[in-house]
Amino acid sequence: MNFDLTISLADLLLLLPEILLTCWLCVLLIVDFAFPRLPKEQLAYLSVVGLVATLGCLAWFDLNHISGTLFGNMFVLDRMALFFKMFIVGATILVVLASMEYVNRFAFFRGEYYFLVVMSALGMMFMASANDLLSVFVTLEFSTFGFYVLVAYLRNDLASNEAGLKFFILGVFAAGLLAYGISLVYGETGKLVFSEMASAPATPGLMIGFLLIFAALGFKIGAVPFHSWIPDTYHGAPTPVTAFLSIAPKGAAFAILLRIFFVALATFKPMWIFLLVGVSILSMTYANIVAIAQRNIKRLLAYSGIAQIGNVLIGLAAGTKMGSDAILFYLLAYLFANIGAFTVVIAVSHAIGSDEIQDYSGLNRRSPFLAFAMLIFLLSLAGVPPLAGFIGKLYIFVAAIKEGLYTLITVGLINIVISMYYYLIVVKTMYINEPVDLSPVSISSPLKAVVYVGLAGTLLIGIYPQPFIDWVEAATLMFSHLAAPSAAVTPPIPPFGG
Amino acid sequence: MGEYTLLYILFAPFAGALALIFVSNRQFMLVRGIAAGSAFVSLIASLYLFYAFDPVKGGYQFVQKFEWSKQLGISLHLGVDGIGTPLVLASGILLFAGIFVSWHIKDRTKEFYIWLLILAAATIGVFMSLDLFFLYFFYEMSVIPMYLLLGMWGSHTKKYLEMTEPEGLKLRDSVGFIFNFGSNSKEYAAMKLVLFLSAFAVAALMGILLIYKYSGLNTFDILVLREQANLMNIPVLGTTLDKIIWMLIFFGFAAIAPLWPLHSWSPVGHAAAPAATSMLHAGVLMKLGHFSIIRVAFEILPDTTRELMPMAAVLCMFSIIYGGFVAFYAKDTKYVIGYSSSSHMGYVFLGMAALDYISLSGAIIYMFAHAMATGMLFAMAGWVYDQTHTRDIPSLGGLSNKMPFISGCFVVGCMASVGMPGTVNFIAEIMIIVGAWNKYPLQVIVAVLGIVLTMAYLFKMMRSLFYGPMDQKHSHSHDAVSAVDRLPLLIMISVSVGFGIFPMHLYNVVRSGVDPLIAKITHVVPVASQERDASDMTREARADSPLTNPVTLPDVSRLTSHASRSDQ
Repeated sequence: MNFDLTISLADLLLLLPEILLTCWLCVLLIVDFAFPRLPKEQLAYLSVVGLVATLGCLAWFDLNHISGTLFGNMFVLDRMALFFKMFIVGATILVVLASMEYVNRFAFFRGEYYFLVVMSALGMMFMASANDLLSVFVTLEFSTFGFYVLVAYLRNDLASNEAGLKFFILGVFAAGLLAYGISLVYGETGKLVFSEMASAPATPGLMIGFLLIFAALGFKIGAVPFHSWIPDTYHGAPTPVTAFLSIAPKGAAFAILLRIFFVALATFKPMWIFLLVGVSILSMTYANIVAIAQRNIKRLLAYSGIAQIGNVLIGLAAGTKMGSDAILFYLLAYLFANIGAFTVVIAVSHAIGSDEIQDYSGLNRRSPFLAFAMLIFLLSLAGVPPLAGFIGKLYIFVAAIKEGLYTLITVGLINIVISMYYYLIVVKTMYINEPVDLSPVSISSPLKAVVYVGLAGTLLIGIYPQPFIDWVEAATLMFSHLAAPSAAVTPPIPPFGG
Repeated sequence: MGEYTLLYILFAPFAGALALIFVSNRQFMLVRGIAAGSAFVSLIASLYLFYAFDPVKGGYQFVQKFEWSKQLGISLHLGVDGIGTPLVLASGILLFAGIFVSWHIKDRTKEFYIWLLILAAATIGVFMSLDLFFLYFFYEMSVIPMYLLLGMWGSHTKKYLEMTEPEGLKLRDSVGFIFNFGSNSKEYAAMKLVLFLSAFAVAALMGILLIYKYSGLNTFDILVLREQANLMNIPVLGTTLDKIIWMLIFFGFAAIAPLWPLHSWSPVGHAAAPAATSMLHAGVLMKLGHFSIIRVAFEILPDTTRELMPMAAVLCMFSIIYGGFVAFYAKDTKYVIGYSSSSHMGYVFLGMAALDYISLSGAIIYMFAHAMATGMLFAMAGWVYDQTHTRDIPSLGGLSNKMPFISGCFVVGCMASVGMPGTVNFIAEIMIIVGAWNKYPLQVIVAVLGIVLTMAYLFKMMRSLFYGPMDQKHSHSHDAVSAVDRLPLLIMISVSVGFGIFPMHLYNVVRSGVDPLIAKITHVVPVASQERDASDMTREARADSPLTNPVTLPDVSRLTSHASRSDQ
């Protein structure tokens, strides 16, 4: 293997969004340092400006089909990477806006908060481009680094400290697994770049190596049985950080998972399909059942997030082009619904100072707008038409049934019903229960903007999904060789759903 | 109007709901006006649809098709045949009537109308969907508004409200409370309804996905699937795939119908719901089940339908008898009507199971007729509840002095529900009975006994509500005097009686949808299907005419050897 690290100016163009954001990070830090009297809201708007510029740059790349690889294939810029980068930057913009009110709670380091958020976003953008195992390790740790600090940001809050510690220990453990897995894989194949591994023989060392890598990424996405940090961390972390943590790293990790499973391990599909089916069934079923018992909205959303990840894994298990389309589409639907739901949580907790579901009683009378928004977001997460989540679930199921994953689809469908129960319990609390306190719940304008974006996205994707389907389909053209079996052939029925 | 009629019917309530979002809750009249206006547009368009539908031409008319997603093979494909048209009309009428029935709702009026309009529009959407995806889409969409309508504006049962002593409160919170039948809270009813229907809906979705996969056509379009899908003779799990799909579809949709063992959500839901919601719920929502079975299972899997439909004939007996007896002993006005609905839906299943031209047409007309009759009854039960704040039958009585109009209408409603000649229910019942007699004599006997049972419980309820001594605490209750209150009842009565006297167009429309379907399923062609236009005789005469005895035409005789109808 030789690393060719000479880069030309044209190559640097591929890095333009990341370079832009890096420069902006420095600007943020300098402005915060140079103008200590500047209200921190201005800093938030400043970071939004930088993020929007990055988003524009990414969109321009996407429209002009700019692609290529850098650093001896370590860094790849293709349409899927662009999709995930836009996904991450978009999520970051919404999170920054949703944080503005919350940041005032912090005693110290209000300015650094935005710096850390944007820095994590930068790390995740690199993750979306990671094309070999080394860059996976480096970018994963880079992005997680910011989160370790962010999760423990409420210094005087024990829950936040506990969340930070838990996240840190398990995160470092996962990093250890990842490094070990990478070393095993490298030892077996002598390769690090995904596309070069495709022809490697299936030796036990390679399998164990990939199993360890999957475990590390499983921690990242929070799939059962690697989920144990999720509820406590989501519960303890500042709510905007929870919102960020619940969506952006998932997208970035799925970019890596897609590259690993669909490129590096494409030939081993008969082996890993059982792993994914098992993890998916466990994630959906366990999380949905445990979510029923939750009394705290953040914990409920944490478990619901685990279940959603189980759904996304169905698409990964399908292992086809359509499966990858469905994953991207589902994540898009999940982005709007989840960030929207957490934003409502932020707004409510700001007004009533509680995250307990019980305290949402009669929210419909106190703030019809917030209650309605929460209703739409929860129903979208539950998969009720005509909302985005329904189309996402259907897309995943259609992709999976074409591969004959009957068991998985059956479990997924049953889980829709189970999940409906706990989402509706929240709806019941908001709409049917009478409020204890009738004072109206107000909402600041940045939060309102985020809720509007969430509502618009959820409804638009649900009612008119065609442009979004076209977009995700174009983003995963690299997987078209994994096309589903042609429609004319009726595939044989496997003995059982696996 | 014209070709876009279906879009007006479907999107007028949606547009009304959307407009209501921007109206303040305090402007009562504006809120009601928008709701009534959008429902009126939908009603007029569906009336136009009903009379502009050409029964001679038959087939799917007013078809609209917009591509929605080419990757998934979904298009917004709308169209109605003779089966969908009367049901669309029934939905339009009940929505319009329901707006006026709920005229006096004071609590969160705007939201009530928003959810009611979405509920009705989604229901209408199912009746005109020619795409499996959209059929499911609208079906599932109609379930969620029910949760909010029941939960927010519904009412608890008497027993639940009585549990105010500490012991009772403790019981209310206990886990085992859900098994304490008869003492249901509205939250319980709403949650049960949604989970029950969703659980069975996903079974139907599994069936739909299997059709999608094994047809291999990459489309959800029913018209394409019924022509080209070949789902027969694929062995799976010791049986054949078409049977599995059929069972998933049938039981998935039969839950909302509701067929006997799957009915338990329905009376509870009816009882908890506010009047207008019960009307739509019993009037049209339950018909989504029968309709979807006809549209999906009958159209796409005709041969399997012929093979497995006798199952429904067995279950429908239990529906009829069980529902009837529970209704007879129920003490709650809405439970009586709710169980009577679930009993009457057994007749529709009987009509469907017989797979006969007359009986299936009767079943479709019965759906329409039942929508009017049960709509009336629920509207009046709702009025009585609003006036007396109780649904407990023994504590009521003598209300006819206070509300002569309601009491008079109630008699008409009972007559219609029983199937008195002169109402459209009579025609439907007689068609089902006559059509099914050759094939299922036992079930027909049960059905006739069921009619007797219907008379018994409805007249019993009527007597204890409106006659006999009146409790003084109800002396302040008053009659429906204003036009707004009388309008919905008068509309439903006139529709019921009007079609009872002039059923010909309704019958022709329904037959134009039923004929090709039954011909496809049984391979038996009705005799004299051409002479229909010449005759002007009433429906009663027709039901007894030789039409009921279809004979096999020579050119299809080869196929009839395995048509179960000729086996009888």
